Amino acid sequence: MSPVIIILCVISAALAVTMLFTKSPITSALCLLGVLIMTAAIYGLIGEHMIATLQLVVYAGAIMVLFIFSIMLLNLTDSENDFKKKPFVFILGLAAGITVFGSIVYAILNHFKNEANDKTLGAFSSETVLALGGNSKVLSHALFSQYYVSFEVVSLALLVAVVGSVVLAKRKVD
Amino acid sequence: MTNEILLQLLAAFLFTVGMLVVLLRRDTIMILMGIELLLNAANLSIVAFSKSANMIEGQVQVFFIITVAAAESAIGLSILVNLYRNFGSIKTESATTLKG
Repeated sequence: MSPVIIILCVISAALAVTMLFTKSPITSALCLLGVLIMTAAIYGLIGEHMIATLQLVVYAGAIMVLFIFSIMLLNLTDSENDFKKKPFVFILGLAAGITVFGSIVYAILNHFKNEANDKTLGAFSSETVLALGGNSKVLSHALFSQYYVSFEVVSLALLVAVVGSVVLAKRKVD
Repeated sequence: MTNEILLQLLAAFLFTVGMLVVLLRRDTIMILMGIELLLNAANLSIVAFSKSANMIEGQVQVFFIITVAAAESAIGLSILVNLYRNFGSIKTESATTLKG
């Protein structure tokens, strides 16, 4: 377990909590941007270079620019603190969060406890991927040979999203 | 504790925080950001599991999830602009036209 990954995990967890509790939407958006960049760094550190690049370009680049653009377009100011207004809802939500987090952690620890008995490894170990020409090459080859139908379908979904968002933004509701 | 357990715990924590953002905040744009955080946590979990099992199927899956998330946020933000144009606010409690 490398210390760099621990530091990145702590920073991204702290940024996520800041995002939950801050008042202004632009601070939340910048905290989310920080979380996404930290996740991209973690992907790069564990050797998934292709996914790290995609995360930086698509998530931290395109999607967050859209979010910050709409915050500035709608001229959103600080929202009054929702938590102080409804403490009952806040406590209920916190209880739900603790329950979900506890059950996920229980499932994870259970999985890693039993992992030694029934672990089946795939063919793409780090050495194999390196011998085949690196992570990006292996992933791109899989995308354009084994999964090309899914690739085309996803491009159609993007086209539908573009047309749909233009239609939605232009429509005048009476 | 190994790297895999640490990454899975981080993914679980980010998922919980994203769920709380969706549940507790009253701005529509905050709800959309919470959904992005949820998707990011799921991606992190999938990539870490796939890496520890020496597979690349998880990375391919995450590629598609990122694409669909981009489409989803484009649609969601244009709905949000429409909401602001019709109600003058993006709070969830201001959109009450369908209320009986």
